[in-house]
Amino acid sequence: MADYLDKLPGFVDTIRSMKETIITNIVLIGQIPAPTFNEKRRTSLFMERLAEFQVDECTTDGYRNPIGIIKGTRESKPPIFVVAHLDTIWGKDIDHYYTIQENSITGAGIMDNSVGVGILVSLPEIFRKLNLSFESDIVLAGVIQSLGKGNLRGIRHLLKTWASPIRGAVCIESAPLGRLNYYADGMIRCEVDCNISTDSGSDHKFKPNAILVLNEVINQILKLRLPQKPRSRVIIGKTSGGHMHGVIAYDATLGFEIQSNSDKMVRSIFNSIKDIIEGTSHEYEVDLKLKTLSNIHATKLTFNHPLVKSTVAVMKKLDLTPISGPSESELSILLSRNIPAVTLGITRGDNYHQQNATVEIEPIFKGIAQIIGVIMAIDNGVCDEHQLD
Amino acid sequence: MNISWIEKNTFHYSEFSDLHRLADEKQRKNLKISLCLPTLNEEKTIAKEILIMKSELMTRYPILDEIVVVDSGSTDKTREIARAYGADVFEADHILPDLEKFKGKGENLWKALYIAKGDIIVYLDADIKNIHHRFAYALLGPLILYDNIKYVKAFYDRPIAIGKNKIRPTGGGRVTELVIRPLFSLFFPELTQILQPLSGEYAGYRELFEAIPFPIGYGIETSLILDIYEKWGLDVMAQVDLDKRIHRNQDTRALGRMSFAILQTFINRKKKLGLVDYKEKLYNEMIQFNLVKNKFKPDIYEIKGHERPPMIEVPAYREKFKKPDELTPLHESIVEATL
Repeated sequence: MADYLDKLPGFVDTIRSMKETIITNIVLIGQIPAPTFNEKRRTSLFMERLAEFQVDECTTDGYRNPIGIIKGTRESKPPIFVVAHLDTIWGKDIDHYYTIQENSITGAGIMDNSVGVGILVSLPEIFRKLNLSFESDIVLAGVIQSLGKGNLRGIRHLLKTWASPIRGAVCIESAPLGRLNYYADGMIRCEVDCNISTDSGSDHKFKPNAILVLNEVINQILKLRLPQKPRSRVIIGKTSGGHMHGVIAYDATLGFEIQSNSDKMVRSIFNSIKDIIEGTSHEYEVDLKLKTLSNIHATKLTFNHPLVKSTVAVMKKLDLTPISGPSESELSILLSRNIPAVTLGITRGDNYHQQNATVEIEPIFKGIAQIIGVIMAIDNGVCDEHQLD
Repeated sequence: MNISWIEKNTFHYSEFSDLHRLADEKQRKNLKISLCLPTLNEEKTIAKEILIMKSELMTRYPILDEIVVVDSGSTDKTREIARAYGADVFEADHILPDLEKFKGKGENLWKALYIAKGDIIVYLDADIKNIHHRFAYALLGPLILYDNIKYVKAFYDRPIAIGKNKIRPTGGGRVTELVIRPLFSLFFPELTQILQPLSGEYAGYRELFEAIPFPIGYGIETSLILDIYEKWGLDVMAQVDLDKRIHRNQDTRALGRMSFAILQTFINRKKKLGLVDYKEKLYNEMIQFNLVKNKFKPDIYEIKGHERPPMIEVPAYREKFKKPDELTPLHESIVEATL
């Protein structure tokens, strides 16, 4: 184990010498808008770059997730997956052109997930420069339809249709460097639509206001008593509604997530919220529709799982302090299919989900060395013969 | 008007995306290529341009030999950032310092000829937000692959559909359509085939650039076209569709001043060619009025229309590049090719 660990600090300088190519990939990919369900142009560029870097196979799966494969030296070894989601929260109308300064890159989506995707397509060239080969095939997967209503469809489809076993996986996120996700909470992501009829013949003496109705729903959700164990929470994440300042809102939408490390608790909170919505709908005589956008189960590796232990060792070797937390992302789907996996961040930055998101350039090189260290750990067999708890 | 040029000498960047081929052909012809970026306060875009060009056309494919930044005295971090990303950075005033000093894009491009080592020079504006290495390789493609082509201009934007799955831009921006195209139509109808004569991205052989004068300001693009056309004809030129280029938008008053400089250049060229004769001297001030506290006040901009002579006439240049007094073989071959 120490053998590959000792090489990691030396990798950082070599990776830094490829700064131009790495940043070029981040910028070329990040500057193409890729809102969820509209990732086609970014997918094409992803494939184009992988082909240019001469991966052994470059294709899309049946769901149009772009994939590059670097062939391993031993056919008997299952492949290692390296995954980054392609989609962003930003629409096509947002300026995606990045600004590069001496030690930073700024622009929409850079922290979620342009750096991650840029690194993913740079890996073939980085492996070549570091003279690295692996026993396993390395599958570089840019997955589509991950965020929000995308409901992780890309990764779900990719894993569902992947015929052979998978040895282990690393999910790449732009930030923050030092994150180590190895467990995923159970989660239900929902949207409530409130629509009030605009017909003049409606029964209401006073028209209800869709925004105020949803406000009432929010107030009742906030009154729910949530346990500290199992750890649980409801996040009110999105609202929209109305048309003009001086006109009653006839429609409004509320988006929220229920998260807990117990699937049973997630379900129980969901049922309580469903009752609140039905009650409010009845009381205000309005149409309230509850839609479930995403549902993932709680799953985890234990802290003493060899992959987690090896990842911690890799990070410590690079003077990184691991910070753990749950992650409801590609990791959930990988773990739920019994594939040992971790999610790692590449660099530090500010203004996470804002248009002026900024990442630091220098930490990127250590962030990449860390990813390579974990791939080497998996290739050395740390995930072999261990099942998930 | 014969429009065969637009059919023969108009390319799409995708025709030159085989970078292996370009690099091989460049090596076979033993060419040196310089990329020149004229700058003035471009700290937001300069790093991206240098970085992408260096990665794709120097590190990965040996197509460019150097990236030269010629700066007009930026007050932001343009020079610092450009240096940090590995470009050779020069202040225009420090190049040929004994000459009278001027400020302007044309001045930077002219002085770049003295600094750059390439047989081919690629000029790109430094404010391109959607920079991609195609901006350089597409301009180089025709120069490297076609022996008769010595000067290539970019065109982009404003797409229209032509036939199935094909789109092409129709023309240029406001100044192009309101000033240049009417002038070309009146005096040089053949040149209207150049779809975006004011595009700031072009490349050419040193032997062309060194043999023609450079206006120091906005008139540079127009004068290059007119002088190359007059000396060697349209057939040494080509244009390449770069798909899309995101500009920094300029207000109408700024475009007015740009138009003034272009008209000035154009009229001077016409006079030189003996095509027009003006009895009176032209003024060199652009006057625009502002309403200030209910009174109209003029804003007066002096636009002198200075021009640098052909670089080959500068003794220091002739010495540095060991230029003989007579025409070089390339000059002769260009003339022969156009006859």
